[in-house]
Amino acid sequence: MKSYPYYPGCTLYSKAKNLDRSARLVASRLGIELKEMPSWNCCGAIYNTAVDDLAAQVGPLRNLAKASKEGEKLVTLCAACYNVLKRAHNRLLTATESERNRLLDFLDEPFGGAIEVVHFLEVLKKEIGWEGLKSLVKKPLTGIKVASYYGCLMVRPRDVLNFDSPENPRVMDDMVSAIGAEPVDFQFKTECCGGYLVVNRRTIAVQASRRVLDNARNSGAEIIVTTCPLCQYNLDIAEAQSGRTGPTGVVTLYFTQLLGISLGLEENELGFEDNKLDPVPFLREKGLL
Amino acid sequence: MAEKEEVFTVKTGARHPDLEQIEELSGQRIIDCYQCGCCTSGCPIGDWMDIPPSKAIRLLQLGQVDEVLASEGIWLCASCLVCGTRCPRNVDYARVAEACRVIILRRKKSMVDPDTVTDADLQDVPQQAFIAAFRKFSV
Repeated sequence: MKSYPYYPGCTLYSKAKNLDRSARLVASRLGIELKEMPSWNCCGAIYNTAVDDLAAQVGPLRNLAKASKEGEKLVTLCAACYNVLKRAHNRLLTATESERNRLLDFLDEPFGGAIEVVHFLEVLKKEIGWEGLKSLVKKPLTGIKVASYYGCLMVRPRDVLNFDSPENPRVMDDMVSAIGAEPVDFQFKTECCGGYLVVNRRTIAVQASRRVLDNARNSGAEIIVTTCPLCQYNLDIAEAQSGRTGPTGVVTLYFTQLLGISLGLEENELGFEDNKLDPVPFLREKGLL
Repeated sequence: MAEKEEVFTVKTGARHPDLEQIEELSGQRIIDCYQCGCCTSGCPIGDWMDIPPSKAIRLLQLGQVDEVLASEGIWLCASCLVCGTRCPRNVDYARVAEACRVIILRRKKSMVDPDTVTDADLQDVPQQAFIAAFRKFSV
């Protein structure tokens, strides 16, 4: 079994335990061990762009310095952790000598920058491959229409993340195809859900998320998959306020929950009770559970 | 009778001191923008902004820095980076908005007070949202 150091991040230890757990179980079914790295701290949840704001980079870089002792690649699941860790890494690698020295002064150990931050989807694509994944599917999700929602954090900024196209990414859609479901093309796949505005401008975040939901639903989606706990939350509170109920609506799952269903994991292993809106009745109606 | 449109008055003379800082902190050249409006049309939050991205940049070009720093728009940017990704002139408005916020935050003026978060929200909203909001909107 191939093992990777894994960075869960704060939200996957609390509100998004279901993303953490379903991913670990899915990975194990695929012959991959996500080995939690030691002594990690919060990544900071958002990247600060002010050019002199070096203090904000210290937290994520401490994680990378520790992870570099565990392996060559650090696997993330949360879109925000992926975004922040990768951008902080890039900030170090492109820093001037004096900036670099200041940053390294705040780390507890020497760090040459030898680590690659990757997302679990990239591990799936490169290590397992879509054909490989297809061959491991126990329950093909035939006929289920799935919108892959990338949001902003997975794809932008393009020049630093190099994850996929910032306008029309395909990685998650390819995963959806591999497990037998039908990927739905929709225009809002990289539109922002409103993100952390939910803390202080909730109405705006809900309305922004509502646009994403409606666009996916009007494009025929029955299920939306995401990699981001905040997208999952925002889409669910927007759906809860939409007045739709049950099968007339659309449910938002973590991509690992959908993968888990197709790989034959049990309902109680996928943590649906931690989703903001209970997707179980909908999934039963569709014959997925 | 229409009132005189103050926002498009060009201020002549010395550059506004905050403008230098906005360019420095953001690493962006404000003058590069040619007002195509791609940023504003793509902005998912633009509909709710009093001054949307392209207008904010135009105001900065005209020296109307105080108007931009006093606007609500810079506090509604969710840093999704659509604007900069689509800009044909490589002006990243998200970085400009962040520079404007940082200037205000460094004057010790918070826009979000962590003490006002309700217990219900603490139990409900994902941690990443709080951390991100406090980082972007408070001292």
